[in-house]
Parts: sequence; C-alpha cells; structure tokens
Amino acid sequence: MNIPPSILPDGAVATLDACWKRIGIWGDRTCPELSGHGHCHNCPVYATGAARLLDTEVTPAYLTSGARHYAQAKIETRPGAKSAVVFRVAGEWLALPTPVFQEIAPVRTLHSLPNRRGALVSGLVNIRGELLLCLSLPIALGLAPTGEPLPSTARYAVVGRGAERFVFVVDEMVGMHRYDYQTIAPVPATLAHAHAVHTCGLLHWRERPVGLLDDERLFSTFNEGLA
Amino acid sequence: VLYVLVQLGSDRYALPARDIVEVLPLVALKSLPGALRGVAGLLDYHGTAMPVVDLSALALGQPAALRVSTRLLIVRYLPPHGSERLLGLLAERTTEMIKWDPRDFSPAEVSGGARFLGPVVHDPRGLIQRIEVSELLTPELRAALFPEIVEVSR
Repeated sequence: MNIPPSILPDGAVATLDACWKRIGIWGDRTCPELSGHGHCHNCPVYATGAARLLDTEVTPAYLTSGARHYAQAKIETRPGAKSAVVFRVAGEWLALPTPVFQEIAPVRTLHSLPNRRGALVSGLVNIRGELLLCLSLPIALGLAPTGEPLPSTARYAVVGRGAERFVFVVDEMVGMHRYDYQTIAPVPATLAHAHAVHTCGLLHWRERPVGLLDDERLFSTFNEGLA
Repeated sequence: VLYVLVQLGSDRYALPARDIVEVLPLVALKSLPGALRGVAGLLDYHGTAMPVVDLSALALGQPAALRVSTRLLIVRYLPPHGSERLLGLLAERTTEMIKWDPRDFSPAEVSGGARFLGPVVHDPRGLIQRIEVSELLTPELRAALFPEIVEVSR
C-alpha cells in the first residue's frame, strides 16, 4: 500500500501537553477556562498547541520517508466523481443521474386521462399539491411492459430538469451509486433501438450491468410524447 | 480566488491556489552542488526529476527552516517561451489559505524589489504581497533549471 507518511515527525505529539484531552472538551472538562471559551477550539492554548506542532523541527527520517513516498509511482484512484440513482423498471436495471431526481414518493392514486390508454402518459399524480404528469418509462424506452401489478416496492420517481417535471413509476428504488465516467462500458449493440438511444453506457453495480440513461434524451422523448 | 499563504522572512505572501498542483511535506531532496542561489535540489516526483527552488533562499539568501510548517509546493511554472513546467517551491509556514477578490489587490507602490513580488492586499495582520509564479525564475535560473527552453528573445 502507498500510504502517505505522517505529517508530523515521530515523537512530535509526545512533547505536547494536550490539556484539551486531559481537562478540556475531550477530557474530564474540569479546565477553569472551558466555561469562558465554550470549546477548546476557541482557546488560545489550543491554537498555540497547533502552532507548536507546525513549528516542530523535522528529522532526517521524516525527510527520507517523505522522499521515498513521493518517488513512488502515483496510484490513480478514481473515487466516483458522478452519482446515479439505480432503479428497476420492467425487469431492467437502469440508472439516471442523481441531480434529476427531486423526490421519491410512495405510490398513490393515479388520475387517469381519457383516450390515453397504452400511450406514454399514464395519468396525473398529486405530488405535494401539484398535479404532475405520470409517464411510462417502459414505453418511452421501448421496453415490453411486464403487465404485472405493481410490486409493494414500487415508488413514484419525481424527476426534473429546469422547469420540466415528470413522474414515472419504478418497480424498485435500489440506491445511489457513485461512479467515474471513465468506467462506463459502451452500450451493447444487441440492445433494442429505443432503449439504446436513451442509454449512454453501462455501469457495473454489485456485479450487475445497469443501463445508465441519458437524462437529456429521456426528457426530450418525454416532451415529444406530449406533443 | 483562493490563495495559499506562505511566509518569507517575517512577512506573509500569497500564491494563487490555481498555480499550485500539490502541497507536499518537506522531503529529502537530491542536492545539486554548485547550483545557483535559490536552487534547493532535485525532487524525485513519482519517477521524474523536478527542480526545487527555495523561496527563502531565492529572496533572502537564507535557506528555509526545516520545520513541519515548511512545505514543498508543486507549482505550474509558465516560462515566457515554451510550455508549462512543474516546479517545486519550498516555502515556510504554508499553513493557511484565504479567499480574496483579485480586485482587492492594489499595486505595490515601490518597485525594484524581487521581480516575482506583485500587488499587495490589506489583511488584519498586515499587508500581504502576491507572488507571481511566472516571474519566479530569473533568466539565469530558468536556463539552469530548464535548459531545454530556448530563449527566443536573445
């Protein structure tokens, strides 16, 4: 492992009288100054302690261990810079960028609209007093609806971009996943067309491929479906 | 704009954080006997040799104190001709960062000091002067540290 060396030379802390751990906020709190300052963070003794640590003279061992560390090749770790919400719809594992999600709501009464059967729009949903259009994600993506009744894990996902807000039903909200954009795998060529144009890549989440949806495409499909 | 504060002698100076790639602790450097004043040595930076300049030695002729608060800044140095290089910079008391509006800086009225010292900003603890990273190296130092940069002006 490439662990960075300690920022303090060995023994630097031992020379310090850490009164904040003895009688201060991390100790038995018997320091007479404590009531005046409220917290050791506000006490000049604490600040002086930090300054003294920074003034510690470095040792040759400290210098060489640092030099050894920075001479090693840099290991690039990629903590996920982006985040997506993973969910299940019509038997598919899908994900959308987290910023488009505004709310996850329990499934409630869907007010159906006349002459809209089988179309993109499923109806209207009351979300905090606002009537929002509930759209069918399987129809937008060209997936075959399973036709099964909604499972108990089903939720309404309220998504928005700018002034546009829509609701769609997911069979299950699985969770958030942080990823790096360089780890996105390309979309397999076997994917059905409508699905493929909405997918910008595949994420790997718990050993399972998850289709990362392109929110811009999806919202434009939603809007076209309403026209 | 975020600035990293350093100390030079008894005064404080500010380096724009965008010029800084990484802040390293003080580490052992390969010394360069016979090098020009201000050159602290060579740093093995992940396998590449990087010249390190001691800010204190450069400006005051006195090497930086070997303390924990003295840190090694990896800065982006843009020579007048040629592309950006990485340069190590030893600076004392590199322990603080402050945000200022660049408009808060006013020109230092006195010129003729070190060429890399720029405009000043008022701070409750006194005046703080900006360090212009691109002006850090004199032509002689630049030629010594980065001999591959061709001087077009001459």
